[in-house]
Amino acid sequence: MTPWVKSRNGQLLLGLITGIIFGFLLQKGQVTKYGVIMGTFLFTDLTVVKVMFSAVVVGAIGIHYLKGKGWVEPEIKKPALGRNIVGGIIFGIGFALLGYCPGTGWGAVGQGSLDALFGGVLGMLVGAALFAESYGFLKRNVLNWGKIGTATLPQVMNKSAWPIIGGLTLFVLALFVFIELVGL
Amino acid sequence: MLELFLQVQWSPYLVGALIGVLSCFAFLSVGKLLGVSTSFARTAGMIERVFVPDRVKGNPYFQEEKPEINWQWMLVVGMLIGSFLSAWISGDFSIKAVPGLWETQFGPSIWFRWSMAFVGGVILMFGARLAGG
Repeated sequence: MTPWVKSRNGQLLLGLITGIIFGFLLQKGQVTKYGVIMGTFLFTDLTVVKVMFSAVVVGAIGIHYLKGKGWVEPEIKKPALGRNIVGGIIFGIGFALLGYCPGTGWGAVGQGSLDALFGGVLGMLVGAALFAESYGFLKRNVLNWGKIGTATLPQVMNKSAWPIIGGLTLFVLALFVFIELVGL
Repeated sequence: MLELFLQVQWSPYLVGALIGVLSCFAFLSVGKLLGVSTSFARTAGMIERVFVPDRVKGNPYFQEEKPEINWQWMLVVGMLIGSFLSAWISGDFSIKAVPGLWETQFGPSIWFRWSMAFVGGVILMFGARLAGG
């Protein structure tokens, strides 16, 4: 429940170390490459899918195990259909143009991709500033649409999380087998 | 062991699994998600504050996401270092203005690629913040 590190400086140092490992892994996965990311949408390279779904499965198993032990209390994001759907569509349009997502684009800067820095990162900062400027307006509109509460799948289905995680794992394993058989 | 670090690419399944483990570690150690985009918003606020401090102070968004350095902001700093180390050690680091795939499709113009990436970045981050992720 309580995080290990409470002091501010300790947290900042831990953030830096965790980030170094995260950036290292993203680059080693080659998901910081424009061609690899775009390959996902062109169905020519599914590296991103492999990395993402492996992380989702291992993360889901790990975090639910830790939650069962009472060691972590994951915060559930408050979904709202309006912002999730409209935001998702806008994000996708930008993603297609840029060819990096915020994390992989930032990682791409570390491997020397200048388009990710002078195009992508600059644009992302401006986009974030524009959002902050329009926040007051958006809060009275789209941000309030379709709030559906924080019920999770296990709560809705009145089950423990494990059968759902088991199903997810089987689905992902089947997907991986399919991807490898197709040769992508 | 050392050889592993010299490799340009690791198995995507291994990388994904390790990111899953890292995400558990982040939950255990500080109780946070491996997220990036909020830090871009905080940084935008820090930069804006230099020029228009009152505007940032009065902005409702920056009251919720304070433009200051926190765990996640340091995570993002670390990511740049980690990516550089990975690319540098394996000989994969190269200064590139235009990605190869872009060049074969749209030509070698740096300004075209950078301006499209800029526009894409603006739209993408606005959408990401709107969607809440």
